[in-house]
Amino acid sequence: MALEAFAESRSLTLGVELELQIVNTHDYDLVGGAEDLLRALAKCTLPGDVKPEMTVSMIEMSTGVCERHADVLDQLGTIRDAMVDAAKKLNIGVCGGGTHGFQRWDERKIFDKPRFHYLSELYGYLAKQFTIFGQHVHVGCPGPDCALYLAHSLSRYIPHFIALSASSPFVQGADTGFQSARLNSVFAFPLSGRLPFVESWTEFEAYFDKMTATGVVQSMKDFYWDIRPKPEYGTVEVRVMDTPLTVRRAAEIAAYIQAVARWLMVERPLRPCDDDYLVYTFNRFQACRFGLAGTYVDPRSHEHRTIADDILATLQKIEQHAIELGADSACRVLREVAQSGVNDATVLRGEYADARSLNEVVRRQCLRWQT
Amino acid sequence: MVESLIWPAWPLQGNELMRLAFALLLAAVCGEGVARLAGLPRVTGYSLAGLLMGPALLGWFGPADLDNVRIAIDLALALLLFELGVRLDVRWFRANPWVLVSSLAEATLAFVLSFAVMRALGHPNGLAATVAAIAVGTSPSVVMRVAAESRAEGQVTQRLFVLCALNVAYSIVLSKLIVGGMHGVFRGDWLSAVLHPVYLLAGSLLVGAVLALAFRLLRRAFDLTDEQGVVVLFGLLLLTLSLLSMLKLPSMLAPLIAGAIIKYGDPRPHLWPRHFGTAGGVLVIALFMLTGMTLTPASVAAGGVAAVALLAARLVGKLGGVMLIGAPSGLSVRQSTALGMALLPMSGVAFLLTEDIRAIYPFFGSQLAPIVLSMVAILELFGPIAVQWALRKTGEARTGG
Repeated sequence: MALEAFAESRSLTLGVELELQIVNTHDYDLVGGAEDLLRALAKCTLPGDVKPEMTVSMIEMSTGVCERHADVLDQLGTIRDAMVDAAKKLNIGVCGGGTHGFQRWDERKIFDKPRFHYLSELYGYLAKQFTIFGQHVHVGCPGPDCALYLAHSLSRYIPHFIALSASSPFVQGADTGFQSARLNSVFAFPLSGRLPFVESWTEFEAYFDKMTATGVVQSMKDFYWDIRPKPEYGTVEVRVMDTPLTVRRAAEIAAYIQAVARWLMVERPLRPCDDDYLVYTFNRFQACRFGLAGTYVDPRSHEHRTIADDILATLQKIEQHAIELGADSACRVLREVAQSGVNDATVLRGEYADARSLNEVVRRQCLRWQT
Repeated sequence: MVESLIWPAWPLQGNELMRLAFALLLAAVCGEGVARLAGLPRVTGYSLAGLLMGPALLGWFGPADLDNVRIAIDLALALLLFELGVRLDVRWFRANPWVLVSSLAEATLAFVLSFAVMRALGHPNGLAATVAAIAVGTSPSVVMRVAAESRAEGQVTQRLFVLCALNVAYSIVLSKLIVGGMHGVFRGDWLSAVLHPVYLLAGSLLVGAVLALAFRLLRRAFDLTDEQGVVVLFGLLLLTLSLLSMLKLPSMLAPLIAGAIIKYGDPRPHLWPRHFGTAGGVLVIALFMLTGMTLTPASVAAGGVAAVALLAARLVGKLGGVMLIGAPSGLSVRQSTALGMALLPMSGVAFLLTEDIRAIYPFFGSQLAPIVLSMVAILELFGPIAVQWALRKTGEARTGG
């Protein structure tokens, strides 16, 4: 199958997808409720969409095409309210967070849809291990070459997005020591990682054709890259974020990505090069493991600083663009997060220290998701 | 003289303990056998063992043995009902009143249809109403054991718990009201007819509230999920049972009420000690064995036909009620069907309600018991299979595919 043409989309428009956890209200373990929730939500008219995910304990909500931060927040809030309402009728809970703290992966059931069964067949237990919950942000691009420029340029900021959204310290009942342990599960997939360094769409098409010729991939969906162009929508999709604990934080992170993208597209501060990727996995690991306190190595100056400091410096640079986009209030909140070092992973660890029970932590995640 | 105290007598004399031990072992073997060979719930095997050892077949045990082990049955049921009560979150009814409506629908239909069948078979109103009241309830022990065995969780499972908790409560309340009526009919004591049910219900509510309060205070002092927790919970429930027996209150309503109050007052997850299930499991085996043991050939002959007709009526009532309200309450047709089927089991509660009536009015009890015990005997074997089928059909069972 050839790569589809790059669709038209308005520059810098936003789309946000959030994968959410469905839990029972007895011990707050994951529970199969996707079908029940979808049935209940089928009656509502929502601004975006609600879709099933890989296993029956996951559900995905997504906005339509948004212009700015306020639209994203508004749409996410509306869908969230409808979903929380439906969940209450079913006596189940819905919450954010990149992982469920104590679920056992071998108890998960694959959602009954051909693609999910195919993936489960192919990847075996990896598919069930993939019961993790991420935020994806789409940024509209005027054309395919611009999309590749943006994808490569945004790669430098991946550690920011990870550290700001990190909300998965607990996996299978234990504290992993990571702030985002979720990304470790993504890394297990053979086609994860980053897109190849090509700068023009013609080159990218050639790469894609070679890959399909090997029989390894059929479509763009088979690449589990951190950032990938999405020709179907005409967007670049950033996929490294954990689902935050609130829709507010999700909207703030989307706004930050949008402002960085505008700065990159308008000012074109640096031309991306392959050597930028030398420090990529190191920086990414630091962000997953230590969050905002992790070390960030600048690919050009080779300077070492904390990720928090790099975020603060970036916020300074993009300030004018944030104001233009109406993203300045969101960026102000994220500045406080970077300064204080308190992201959602810290919040969850605090809840656990207080409650001494991961079951109770998940209950509080559900309460937080409603706010 | 001393010789006979320190040396065993020859031939060796069996004793009560050995009989019980053999019964327990046989039940365990039957449970495991049924699970391994036929893939059926263990509970079915326990009941099978009970029927086998009871007066209907081998005759190792009879109704006379019941008094010795009544406390084990009471404690097993109290544990289960307490746990079930904690799964009954009253807030859910505010968010989705249709769940409550479906509970009322299935209970009402089951009552009305059972009553009609009894009348059609020529039984008097009093007996018909008592049987119908007992038929309203679903066995919490079967439901909880089978759900635990298949580690089920989901819409059908949680509604099954809630509907079971509610219909057990209806069943107890209805049968106590009917017993009240009997005081008037049989003895002309209409004051007792009114006051006795009020006393039983208010008393149960009060003891339930006290138990809930005690549990909350203890939860502050102990980590109830460790081994210490098992001791504390058992102690607390035994104390409650002794208090209930002292006050001549029913043993089943108060633990259920206490559980629901606890969940309402404290929505945090209530996790049971890891060994709670194990310790409770032994008692539950006893519960299933003993209800099977009381079935005599005479009672099957007297009540068998009525029991089969009643079971059909009860099935239509429960299935119909749940399916009628399924869609507005948020269930698919497949889920409603499964839920209706899973509501079928009858066992310990029905048995104890019958025993309680027989203790007060032996003659009436002798007409009631054959019918109810025949229903219980049939459903002890097939009820667990219905629950297992329902949980697998809806994909909510996490073990045994």
